[in-house]
Amino acid sequence: MPAEGVSIGVEAPTSGEDASPGMVQNGGQRGSSSTTTTTTTTSGTSSRRGGVERLLPPTTSPPLPSFLGGPGPRPTKQGKETKTRVGRVQPNPISRETLPNSDPPPHLGCSSPAMDRQPPAASLSPQDWEQLLDDFASSSQPPSRRDRWLHLPLLDLAVSSLPRRDLPSHLKPLILSLLDDHLLPPSPASLPAFLASLHAFPPDHPLRDHLLTTVVSAFASALAAPLSQHRDAPPLAALVDTLLAAANRPNHAPDRAARALACDALRTLDAALPGLLADSLGHLYALAAAERSPAAQSYLLLLASAARHAVRLGRLASPASVLAVAGPPTPFSVPAHLLSPPHAASPPAPPSEANVRDVRKVLALLMDRPQVLTPAATMEMAAILAEVASAVLEWAPAVAAHIKVQFGGMVHSSSPMLLHSLLTLFVRFPDAFGAEDERTMVRRLALAAREAHRPLAVRLLALHWLLGSGRFANLVPGLTQWFYPAVFDPLALKAKKLDCLAYVAAGVGGETVSGGRASDQVAGLLDDGLACVSAFRWLPAWSTETGVAFRALHSVLVDAAPHSTDGTRCSGAEDQGLVPVIADFSNRLLACDSHRWAGERLLRTLDECLLPRLEPGYQLASYYPLFEKIAQNETVPQLRLIELLTKQMVSLSKKHGPDTELKLWSQGSKVVSICRVMLKHHHSARVFLPLSRLLVLAIKSFPDLEVRDHARVCLRMLSCVPGKKLRHLMGVGEQPSGVTPSHPGSLFDMPSPRPAQDLKSMPDLASYIHLERVMPLIVKQSWALTLPNFSVQSRPSGSILSIQDVSSAPSEQENPTGPAVKRIGYAQETLRVMDSKGAETLQILRRYFTCIPDYLHSSGLKIRIPCTFRFDSEPFNGAWGSDLPASGDGADELPALYAVTITFSSSAQFGNIPSCHVPFILGEPPGSGMDIVPVDNQNREESSYCASVVIELEPREPSPGLIDVSVAANTENCQVLSGSLQPITVGIEDMFLKASLPPDTPREGVAMYYHDLFQALWEACDSSSNTGRETFPLSGGKGSAAINGTRSVKLMEVTSKVLIGAIERYLASFVVSVAGHSLVTILRGNGVIKNVIWEENVSDASVGADALVPYSPDSNLQLQLIDDDDIGVSAERYGHESKRDMGVVRVMIFLPPRYHLLFLMEVGCASTLVRMRTDHWPCLAYVDEYLEALIS
Amino acid sequence: MSSSSVSPATQQQQQRRHGSSSPSSFPAIPRRAMSGGGCSVRAIWILTPHDTVAFSRRFAVVEKRWRESWEADEGYGEGEGRGTEAAPTQQPADHEVAAAFAERRRREGTARGSGIRTNVSSVGLDSWVDDPITRHIISLYIKKEEGDGYMLWPVVLQKRGGYYVLVLPLVDPQSFRAYENLLKRSDCGSSAKENGNLSSILLNLPCITGAFMVGHVLGDIITADIAEPEVIVSSGPTVGGLLDSLTGSIGISARAKPIAAPVAAPAALASSPVGSAQSESLKGGVRPFDKDLLRNFIIGAMPFGTPQDLNYANVTSIRATGFSGDPLPTDQKQPAWKPYLYKGRQRILFSSLETISAALYDRDDVSDFLSISGQVTCRAELEGLPDVSLPLAGLKTAHVEVSSFHHCVQASEPTDNKQTLVFQPPLGNFVLMHYQAPCNIAPPVKGFYQLSMVSENEGAFLFKLTLMEGYKSPFIMEFCMITMPFPRRRVASYDGNPSIGTASMTEHSIEWRIVSSGRGLSGRSIEATFPGTVRFLPRTTQRTNSLLRSVSSTAFAEDSDSEQDNVKNGASLDDYIMEKINKDLQAVDLEEPLSWQAYNYAKVSFKITGGTLSGLTIDPKSVINRLKLHFALVNIYPSVKAPAEYSMQASSGDYILWNTLGKCPTAALPREF
Repeated sequence: MPAEGVSIGVEAPTSGEDASPGMVQNGGQRGSSSTTTTTTTTSGTSSRRGGVERLLPPTTSPPLPSFLGGPGPRPTKQGKETKTRVGRVQPNPISRETLPNSDPPPHLGCSSPAMDRQPPAASLSPQDWEQLLDDFASSSQPPSRRDRWLHLPLLDLAVSSLPRRDLPSHLKPLILSLLDDHLLPPSPASLPAFLASLHAFPPDHPLRDHLLTTVVSAFASALAAPLSQHRDAPPLAALVDTLLAAANRPNHAPDRAARALACDALRTLDAALPGLLADSLGHLYALAAAERSPAAQSYLLLLASAARHAVRLGRLASPASVLAVAGPPTPFSVPAHLLSPPHAASPPAPPSEANVRDVRKVLALLMDRPQVLTPAATMEMAAILAEVASAVLEWAPAVAAHIKVQFGGMVHSSSPMLLHSLLTLFVRFPDAFGAEDERTMVRRLALAAREAHRPLAVRLLALHWLLGSGRFANLVPGLTQWFYPAVFDPLALKAKKLDCLAYVAAGVGGETVSGGRASDQVAGLLDDGLACVSAFRWLPAWSTETGVAFRALHSVLVDAAPHSTDGTRCSGAEDQGLVPVIADFSNRLLACDSHRWAGERLLRTLDECLLPRLEPGYQLASYYPLFEKIAQNETVPQLRLIELLTKQMVSLSKKHGPDTELKLWSQGSKVVSICRVMLKHHHSARVFLPLSRLLVLAIKSFPDLEVRDHARVCLRMLSCVPGKKLRHLMGVGEQPSGVTPSHPGSLFDMPSPRPAQDLKSMPDLASYIHLERVMPLIVKQSWALTLPNFSVQSRPSGSILSIQDVSSAPSEQENPTGPAVKRIGYAQETLRVMDSKGAETLQILRRYFTCIPDYLHSSGLKIRIPCTFRFDSEPFNGAWGSDLPASGDGADELPALYAVTITFSSSAQFGNIPSCHVPFILGEPPGSGMDIVPVDNQNREESSYCASVVIELEPREPSPGLIDVSVAANTENCQVLSGSLQPITVGIEDMFLKASLPPDTPREGVAMYYHDLFQALWEACDSSSNTGRETFPLSGGKGSAAINGTRSVKLMEVTSKVLIGAIERYLASFVVSVAGHSLVTILRGNGVIKNVIWEENVSDASVGADALVPYSPDSNLQLQLIDDDDIGVSAERYGHESKRDMGVVRVMIFLPPRYHLLFLMEVGCASTLVRMRTDHWPCLAYVDEYLEALIS
Repeated sequence: MSSSSVSPATQQQQQRRHGSSSPSSFPAIPRRAMSGGGCSVRAIWILTPHDTVAFSRRFAVVEKRWRESWEADEGYGEGEGRGTEAAPTQQPADHEVAAAFAERRRREGTARGSGIRTNVSSVGLDSWVDDPITRHIISLYIKKEEGDGYMLWPVVLQKRGGYYVLVLPLVDPQSFRAYENLLKRSDCGSSAKENGNLSSILLNLPCITGAFMVGHVLGDIITADIAEPEVIVSSGPTVGGLLDSLTGSIGISARAKPIAAPVAAPAALASSPVGSAQSESLKGGVRPFDKDLLRNFIIGAMPFGTPQDLNYANVTSIRATGFSGDPLPTDQKQPAWKPYLYKGRQRILFSSLETISAALYDRDDVSDFLSISGQVTCRAELEGLPDVSLPLAGLKTAHVEVSSFHHCVQASEPTDNKQTLVFQPPLGNFVLMHYQAPCNIAPPVKGFYQLSMVSENEGAFLFKLTLMEGYKSPFIMEFCMITMPFPRRRVASYDGNPSIGTASMTEHSIEWRIVSSGRGLSGRSIEATFPGTVRFLPRTTQRTNSLLRSVSSTAFAEDSDSEQDNVKNGASLDDYIMEKINKDLQAVDLEEPLSWQAYNYAKVSFKITGGTLSGLTIDPKSVINRLKLHFALVNIYPSVKAPAEYSMQASSGDYILWNTLGKCPTAALPREF
C-alpha cells in the first residue's frame, strides 16, 4: 500500500492548487491525490516518535510560520538564485530547456503570484533539486531557506527520484547524502519505498553501495523492537534476505566489497534490533570461517556482533546450541522476540556446557588472527570480545589468556586505536595480564607520550590513560624519568607531564613521610619539572608558560604534597610580574573549601620567605595585590607585612620630590588601603601596636595630604572601634567585599534615614547614659553656690565674671554660716620698711609667683576631673530599638554609640570647658556588674563598655560648682541622639593643686623649697604681714598678684589615727613638712607621705608654737566666735590636748588660678587643731565643710 | 512503543541491580561503557574559520543508539546527580553547531580554548576542567531559541588547513554526565587521584580515540595531505604509493611528503609579525576542499558511522577500482588492510628518515640537547602474502628510547638487545617503525651564535660554526641554511660578510646559506664564521589586543607605579631591551613548545643523506656490525628472490642555536631516584 502511495505521488501532477497558503499545502495535497495517505501516516508516526526535532517533519506539522509570513519577497529571490545556478545546471538538457522560462518553471504551473511560488509536491525537476540541495547545504544562515521545502514529502520525493532517468547522475549521490544527513530516520511506513528503490537499482550501479547504505540506515534508524508484524516485519525480512543472500557467497572474489558491505549492513541492523541475527549465528560462523578475502574482517565483525547479542539475550543458557543451523539462511524471518513487547529480564542463567563450547569456538575464530583486522575494526572487535568473553569467563577461564596472547602484541603498535583497545582488554581481564604486562603497558604509555611523531592529542591521551587506571597507580612513580618534559615538547604536553610528575611527587610524599629525603626528592622533582617553563619568571605574567607553571603547582597541591612547594615558589614570586598570577592562584585555592589550607599555607610561605627579601621602593607597588591577599587572610601573621609597609612609607616619604606627587599619592593610598584591609580582617589587638605605629608615621610624615587624612581615619578606627563592630563598619560601603550593607549606617554614607529627634523629646537620656566622676567627692555638696544652668546651649561658657579686680569678691557668692572670716583690707602703700626676714620672704614669694601662669593673659592652670562615660544596653535598646542582626557573639549584640560628643557648660567660674569625644562605646551588657576601671589618662585601652572622659576646667576662682552635661551621638542605625545628662558636681577639693615649682629647683631641694614657701606664704597671709602691700608679678610679667591674707582655725575632734588616715588619703601630696617626734615616726613609717621635711627633733611643741603658731588671744577669740556652741568645751580641752601634742603637719594647697590654702595641723591624740591661712578668703567657707567631711 | 529498546535496557537494569558502579567510579569499568562497543560517530562537522559549516555528515543509525541509551538511562534511577538541562538527545542543526562553536570561541578566547584554567575561566567552560586535552576534546553548548539548551560532548576537534574538523562520537550517558560534573564542580580543580577524574573518563572511552583518528584522516583529506609515507630509492626519486603498486608501475612520483616537522615551521611562525593567537583568526586563505571526495571516503570507511578502515588509499582504491580480477589467496585470510595483492617484479625497499632536533646552548651550565625522531619506511613489492622477518639487534647500544610499529608488525618482546619483527607488508609505502634515539654522532652543525644589542635598534652578532665534523663519506650535506628570525622587529639593514656562503635579509630575518643545494658538502668538515651587525627600524608600539593579554594582565600592567627604573642594578642593556620588548609579548598556544618570540636564536636547516645520525642503518644484504644497531638479514617466507634497497636521510627539525648572550629555554634532564 505505501508503495502505491509513492508511485502515485510520483505521478501526481504538479499541485497547482490555489488554496491559500498556510494549512493550505496539506489541505491541497490531501485533496489532490492519494499521497495524502502516506503523508498523514508519516506525520503521525514521526510526531509519535518522541518529538525528536528533525529537519523533516514531513508535512506533518502545519507549514512553518516563516513560510506563511514570507510570500512576498521570496519569488524574486528564488528567481535570482535559480539564475545564478544556471551555469551548473547547464549540462542537463532538461534544465537548459526550461531555462528561458525558468522563472517560474513551467511545470510548476504557479498561477497566483500572490501565493508563494512553491516547489511542486510530487516531483522535482533537476533545477528544483539543485535548488533544494543548495538550500540545505547553506547551513550557516538560519534555516529559513530550508523551510520552504519542508512542506513537501521530501523523503518520498528523494526516494522516488533515485531511479528516475531524467535526473543528471551527479545529483543522485547528493540526494542520497541529503537523505543520510537530513531525512533520516524515516517513518517505518516509508521503508518499503526504500526497499523498492534498492531493488530497482541494478546491482552493478556505482551508486548501489551508497543506496544500500542509505536504505539500511533508514531501516536501522526507523525500526525498534517490538516490531509491528504486518507493517515492519515484511520489508525488514526482505531486506535481510537480500543482504544475507549477498553475503552468502564466501570467497567470491569480484564482489568482495559488496559482500563486506552487506555484512556491515547486517551488523548495523543487528545492532539496531538486538538479536535479529541470533538465530543465524551458525550460518554466520560458517561464512566467517570460510572467507579469506579482505572482506573477512566484515564477516568476523558480523559474527562477533551476532554472538554478542546472543549472549545478551541469554541464549547461552538454553540447551540448544547457539551455532545450530536449522536450514538455509534465506528466506529470513524476523525472530519472534523482536515482535513481542519486552518481557522482564530474568537474571542470566549459567550457560549450558554445549554453548560454552560453542562460544569458545566462536571466540577462537574471532581471535584467530587479529592482525588481519584494520585498527578501527580491531577496536570494535576488542570491545565485543571483551563482552562475550566476560560472559563465559567463569566457565572458560582460558579465554582470557587467549586474548592476552592474541592481542598482547599490540602494545608495540604505533596506532593509538590499537593501544587503547589493548588497554580496554587489559582493564577488563586483569587476571590474564600479569604484573610484567602491567609494567610493559605502563612503560609503553609513558613512552608513547614521548614519541614526537604522534599527534599532540594522542600524546596527551596516552598520559591520561596512564593516570586514569588505578592499576597503574603504583607503577607510575617508577616512570619518573619518562615524565621529564623536553625543551621542544609542546606546552600542553609539558603541562600534562608536569601533572604526572606532581602525581609522582604526591606518591613519594605519601609513602615516605618519615625521612627528609622524600621531600627533597619531591622538591627536586618539581624543580626539574618546572625548569622547562622557567621562563615564566621573566616572561609577561600572561604568558602560557606562566599558566602552565602555576597549573603544575596547583596540581601538586591538590595531589596533596604541600611540603614541597616552598622553595620553588618564592623564587618565582620575587619577580613582580607574576604577582597578579600568584594572587589569582591563591584566590583559586582559597575559594575552594578543601584547599583553603593550601592557599593559606602559600600566603604564610610568602609571608615568611618573600617579604623579608623585598626592598622598599616604587617597584614594591607591583606586589600590592599579594599584600592585599596576605592582609585579608586571618591565619597569616601580619607583622612582617606591616614592617615592610612601614619601611615603604619611610622610603616614600624620603624620596619625595616635586615630580613624584602622583606616585606618592597612589602608593600611599594603596598602603593605607592595605592597612584598611588588615583592619577589616584582623582582631585589632594583634595588629594594634605595629599598625598604629605605621599609621602614626603616615599621619606625621607622609607628604600627601589625602593619604595623611586616610591614615588618620584608619588610626582613629583602629584605636577606637573594637573587633567586629569595626569590621562591620569597614565592610559597609565596600562593594567587592560581598557583604551587603544590612543597613545604611556607615561612616561614609550620608546620615539620612531618621530625622534627628528633638532634644526635648528625649528627657530620659540621663537615665541610661551616665557620665560619672571617677572619684566621688568627699563633700556631697548638694548645696552648691552656683545655680545649675539648665539651658543647655545657652550662653557661651567662658564668659568670665568679676576678675578685673583682684580684690573684688564674686558677686553672686553668698557666705554661708561658717568659720569666721576676717577680711583684711587692701591698702596701697608704696613705701615700706622691711627687715631681713621679710625681705627673704618676699624674695621667695616673688620667685614663686613668677611660676604661676597668668590666666588673664594666657591660659591658666587646668583642673582635670576624670569621669567615666557609659550607657546601659537594655534601656537603650528599648528607647532606640536595635536593628542590628544578632550574630550570636557577645559584643555584637550590644548596642553601640558612635562619635559621642559631650559638651559642658557651667555657670560657675570654670572658664571654657572643652568638650570631650568618645568615638565608640558599647552598651553595658545588662546584668553585668559595672567593672571599675582604674582610671589612667594615658591608658586608652579601657573597657569597651566604659569610656573615660576627662573634664578640663580652667577655674577663674576656686569654688565648687555644677557642670551641665549634654551629649550628642550617632547610634548604629544612623540616628542622632542628643540631650543632657546629669550634671557633674565639682567640689573644692577638685581645685586642690600642688604649688608650682620653679623650673630650676634641684630635685633634692624640692621639699625644702615647699617648706620655705609655706613659711613665706604663712607669713604673708598674716594680717600683720607687711607683704600685704606687695604685688608679685605673675608668669609672663603682665599681670601681678597681691596677697591679702585671712586666718582661721578649726578644731577637729577626732583621734590622731583617724586624722592621719585622712591626711594620708586625701592630703598626702600637699604635705610640706611634719614636725614632732611621734608624728614623724608614724607618718614616716606609713610611707605614704614622702619628700617632705621631717622635723623630728623639734619635739617640744613650744618651739614650734613660738615660731610658727603665735597663739594670740585674738585667735582664740576668733575660734570661739566661730564655734559658738561649744566654745567652753573647746577652750577647756585645749589645754589638755596641747600637752599631748604629737606634732605638727603643714599642708600647702594651691588653688587656681593663683590662691593658696595653708593648714597648720597641730595633731593631738584626741583632737587636732587646724590653723588655716589663705589669700582667698571665700574658699574658707568650703574648706570648713571639707575638713568636716574629711574626718566624718 | 516509544520506549522501544528491549535488550540494552534490561541489560543495564541487570547491571544496576548487581551493583555495578557508576562510570566515573574506578577502577571497575562499567559494562555499559562497553556496550556500545568500539567507536561510533554520531556526526561530523567541518567548520570554516568564518564559523560556517563547510561540510556535515550525520549518522542516523548511531544517533538512534544514542537516543535509546539515553532514554534507557532516564528510565530508572531518578535524580542521581544528573544535570538539570534538557536531555541531550537531540541532534543539532548545522547552524546551531556553528553558532555554538562561535560562542565557545568567544568565551574561551580561541577556538580551541585555553586548555588551562585562567582567571577568565568559569564554571561550565572547558577550561574550568583545567586540562590541555580540552583543547582537543571540547564541549559545545547548543542553545535553543525556546526551551533549554543542551551540551554536546565529546566533540573531538582538530584544526586542519584553516578548517575545524569536529567529530562527535557516541558515548554512554554515564560518561557524559561524569564530564558534566567535572564542568560544574566548584572547587579549585580535580586531582588525578580522585574518582571520576578526566583521565578515567577518557580511559573508558575508546571512542574518543577512534574519533580522533577519524578526524585526523578527514583533516588529511581536506588538506590534501594524503600522500603515503616517503620511500626513497637511491636510484631515483621517491617512489609512489598504493596506486602505483596497483598499476605495477614503479617510478617517479610527485607526491613528496616531508616527514615529521617541516623545516620551516618555527621560522614561518616567527616571521609572522603577529602571534599564533591571531593567526588562528586569520580570515580567508582556506582552500576549498573536495566534498565529494570526503563523502566518498566516509561511505567507504564508515558507512554506518562505525569506522572500518581509515586508510585513505585503501578505501578510495576499493571504491574507485573495485576488485575485478584480483585472485584470492588460497590458504590464509587476506588482511583487511591489504585489499590487493602485488603482481610484478619483486623487491623490497627501506628508507630511514630522521629528523634531528637540537637545542645548542654553548654554555657551561646548560648541556646541549639533541634528539632524533626517526622512522623506517618500507615498500614491499612482493607477490602473495609473504611474511617478512626482521630481527633487530643492538637496540640498547644504540640507545633507542622508544619504538613503535606498524600494525602489521608482530613485534616480539624486546629481550636484552634483540627484537624480532615479523610482518606481512601491506601494499604501497608504509611506516614500518618509528623510533626516538639520541644523536649518537657529533651534531652536524655545532658552534655558537651570539647577538648583543648595542643600542635599542642595533645589534652585533657573531656566528662561529663547524659543519660536518667527524662525518665521512658517504655522508653528504645537501644544503645548510641558517636563519636569524626577528619576528617582532623589522630589519633595516645588516652588515658583515660570512666566511663562506651568502647572506641575505628579509623583512623579519637574516638568512645565511652556508651550503646551497647542488653543491653538497661531502667528506670534509668546514668552519664558518659570520660576524656582523644588524639594524632594526625603530619599534612602533604595537598595541595588541589579544584577549588573553588584556584579560590576564590585571591592573598592575597599566599601573604607572610599576614602571621600572631605567637600567637599574647594573642589568645589561640586552636584558633591559628584552624586558621592554617582552611587555607586549603574546601568549603562545599550548601547542607551541615555548614562546619563540621571547628569545633570540638562529635556526639551522639542513639535509644530510648517506647515513643516519642515530647510527641506525639497515643493510639488508649482509649482516654488518659496523654500527651499533643493525637489521640482520631480512627473511622472507615463503622465500623469494627479491632485491632489497636501503636509503638514509636526515634533516633538521627544530635545530636551534640559542643566543649565547641571551635568555634561553631549558629543560632538566631526568635524574635517577
